[in-house]
Amino acid sequence: MKHGRFMVGLVGVAAVVTYLVWTGVSSTMVYYLTPVELAERIEEDPSFRELGVKISGKVVPGTYERVEGELLHRFTIHDLEDESVRFPVEWRDALPDTFSEDVEVVVEGRLNEDGVFEATTLLTKCGSRYEAAPEDLAR
Amino acid sequence: MTVLGEFALWISLPVALWGMFLGFAGGRTQRGDLVLSAERSIYAVFLLHVVASIGIIAAFVGDKFQYWYVASYSNRQLELFYKVTGLWAGQRGSLLFWALLLGFFACVAVFTNRKKNREFMPYVAGVLQTILAFFIVVLLFANVNPFEQLDFVPANGQGLNPQLQNYWMTIHPPTLYLGFTAFAIPFAFAVSALLSGRLDARWIQLTRRWILTSWLFLSVGIVFGMRWAYEELGWGGYWFWDPVENASLLPWLTATAFLHSIQIQEKRGMLKVWNMSLVLLTFLLTLFATFLTRAGLIESVHTFAENLRIATIFLGGMTAVLGACIVLIIYRLPQLRSDNQIESFFSRESAFLFNNLMLVGAAFAVMWGTMFPLISEGITGQEISVGPPFFERVNFPIGLALLTLVGIGPVIAWRRATKKNLQRNFMTPVIVGLVVAAGLWLAGARHGLALVTWSISAFVLTIIATEFWKGTKARARIEGEGLLNAFFHLVTRNRRRWGGYIVHVGFVVMVMGFAGAGYNVDTRHHVMPGDVVEVDSPLGHTYELTYEGLSVSRANGQRNLLWQMIATVSVRRDGQAAGILNTEKRQYVTSEQMMTEVGIRSTPMEDLYLILSAVDDPQAALSADSSAQGIDLQVLIKPLVGWIWFGTLLLVIGTVIALWPNAARGRPAETTTTGSAPRPDPAPEPVGSTG
Repeated sequence: MKHGRFMVGLVGVAAVVTYLVWTGVSSTMVYYLTPVELAERIEEDPSFRELGVKISGKVVPGTYERVEGELLHRFTIHDLEDESVRFPVEWRDALPDTFSEDVEVVVEGRLNEDGVFEATTLLTKCGSRYEAAPEDLAR
Repeated sequence: MTVLGEFALWISLPVALWGMFLGFAGGRTQRGDLVLSAERSIYAVFLLHVVASIGIIAAFVGDKFQYWYVASYSNRQLELFYKVTGLWAGQRGSLLFWALLLGFFACVAVFTNRKKNREFMPYVAGVLQTILAFFIVVLLFANVNPFEQLDFVPANGQGLNPQLQNYWMTIHPPTLYLGFTAFAIPFAFAVSALLSGRLDARWIQLTRRWILTSWLFLSVGIVFGMRWAYEELGWGGYWFWDPVENASLLPWLTATAFLHSIQIQEKRGMLKVWNMSLVLLTFLLTLFATFLTRAGLIESVHTFAENLRIATIFLGGMTAVLGACIVLIIYRLPQLRSDNQIESFFSRESAFLFNNLMLVGAAFAVMWGTMFPLISEGITGQEISVGPPFFERVNFPIGLALLTLVGIGPVIAWRRATKKNLQRNFMTPVIVGLVVAAGLWLAGARHGLALVTWSISAFVLTIIATEFWKGTKARARIEGEGLLNAFFHLVTRNRRRWGGYIVHVGFVVMVMGFAGAGYNVDTRHHVMPGDVVEVDSPLGHTYELTYEGLSVSRANGQRNLLWQMIATVSVRRDGQAAGILNTEKRQYVTSEQMMTEVGIRSTPMEDLYLILSAVDDPQAALSADSSAQGIDLQVLIKPLVGWIWFGTLLLVIGTVIALWPNAARGRPAETTTTGSAPRPDPAPEPVGSTG
């Protein structure tokens, strides 16, 4: 009976999966912060800027501009609670259909030297998109 | 009609509770009259839910906007087709739809077993009614009653989200739900086996077709969702590791594991506890997936509403199921001992076990990544998330290992493979795999992961092809048939085995298609009418795209459309005219945002995928200013995407072959190639089969 060798194999697979999950998390995880939290973190520790983070905020109306022919979009987002905390965002890809000027967005990326948030992914929050709130019906 | 539907939903609760109580009591006391009543209550609950569903559809078709659900998902202008399918367009209706489908499958299970397998049926009826009662309670008491009325009657409804007005999106949720609900039947039989103490492989043999049916619908449902994302979401991808997608993948992974591990129990009487655990886990994951998609726990592109009460009820229900089943398994532990032990590392049992471990490992990793934001927030108070890179890093290696096992599993010997067996079966395929890798390398392919994937795929396909060839040749010789006839008879005489191989081929073809993503081309251009864009595909073709211009079409509210801006592009491939592609921006009445419609030209080897990213000056274009024609055009080339859909087709064909009922009734199903002795059908106490 080769039970020993077999158990080694099983434990090996379990160990490899655990290892993959562990290293996968530590090398790909991103903090999900509000703009206020991001500002605080950077104030505490300027090297935090180096990390990739995900922040959510609302697009400030009137700040959206598109650089023609470059697929570059610029806009500013503000914190949901403290509107004075703002970050300019640059996005180099097609905008999702759901993007508009008063929508809540989640951007992932990092702050560059000039304090501009260079986004690598952009999602719009769309809680109301598929499910209407009853109050909306009264309009 | 709608009022009647609401009434029917309320009535179904006491009926389901009655059936639940009688099922368990009947099983305990062995009283046939109680069991019969429990079984009939299942038909009753199903009929009541049919009435309730018709009530909802009637409210949609009749534009009854005083109902919150109708007002939220429909309006007067919506096409009739989408009004009817409004039954599952949103959370509330889909929960009723879930109960409806489960009720249907429960009826089929009760009906087909009305005269046989009576020792299982009392508890099966009890368990199914418990699940039904649970869903009815959710519907009625978790703020998700589809019959809830507003205190005023809106003049018109909100309309259906335009992105959901797509053929694939209409059939994607029901297909997944068929997969989820069909799995409740094997689960019910498993619990019944635990309760009644009938713990041999009988419950597995009885539910094999149910498991396969469920697996088929799960697979197809997931692919339908991919197809929808590919055509409708407009970013050229088909899988984003979104929580909702992950949620549907989880039960598929564990169901696939289960489908393989039950064969070990049937053949060798091993892994009994493991199989019980897998059936429980898969059932819980189908509940979890329903809960995640329809209760809005985690932020996601398409997680719908937030509702704390439904979360509490769902989690409570799942905990109760988990607790009860663990207690049962522990109670029956002495009877769940293995009849045999694994003899060798090099054996089919061992290969199947590794397959199981990896599938469950992948499920664990996907679950972990999906729940990570919640876990990290719960523990550290800081939300940390992982994205697609995490899932790819973890699942690609596991996927490749699994792919290899697809080749090894079916041909390695049971119990103990000899050196000769290994050499004979694997020498040629390994060489073919290496030759394919070398050939692709010489042809200029340098994407490591894709190369490895295709090489292993060649290895697996060679093994399966050899099996088909050997089987056909042997049959042709023994029976004196032509090769084509022999091949046909080979497959039909042992559908389970050869159907399974065809499923494997389909899976391998799909994986080869996934690997094509390694060669995606993504280019962006700003173009004016008359501009020509040249894009080279990795397969050596050249596309010459001429932007012909932007046209505006106004629908003025018909089919909820306001206007379309259509960019027309004529395509030349390798100098040959290859038709015209349109990509559009659309504005619907019912949505504030514009929608993008992509233009796709599919060929077997690669897709050309055009996206109208942006229009320079939409306002001017809409007011028919002919100078405002500049656009951003994104041109993607997606190699081998078609293989995913084609592989799915093979997978469906293979599963249907494996599912097909045997012609000779009453003949025991052929279990495996070596043909184990058919188990005599036991004739147990006929509980409730008469009366």
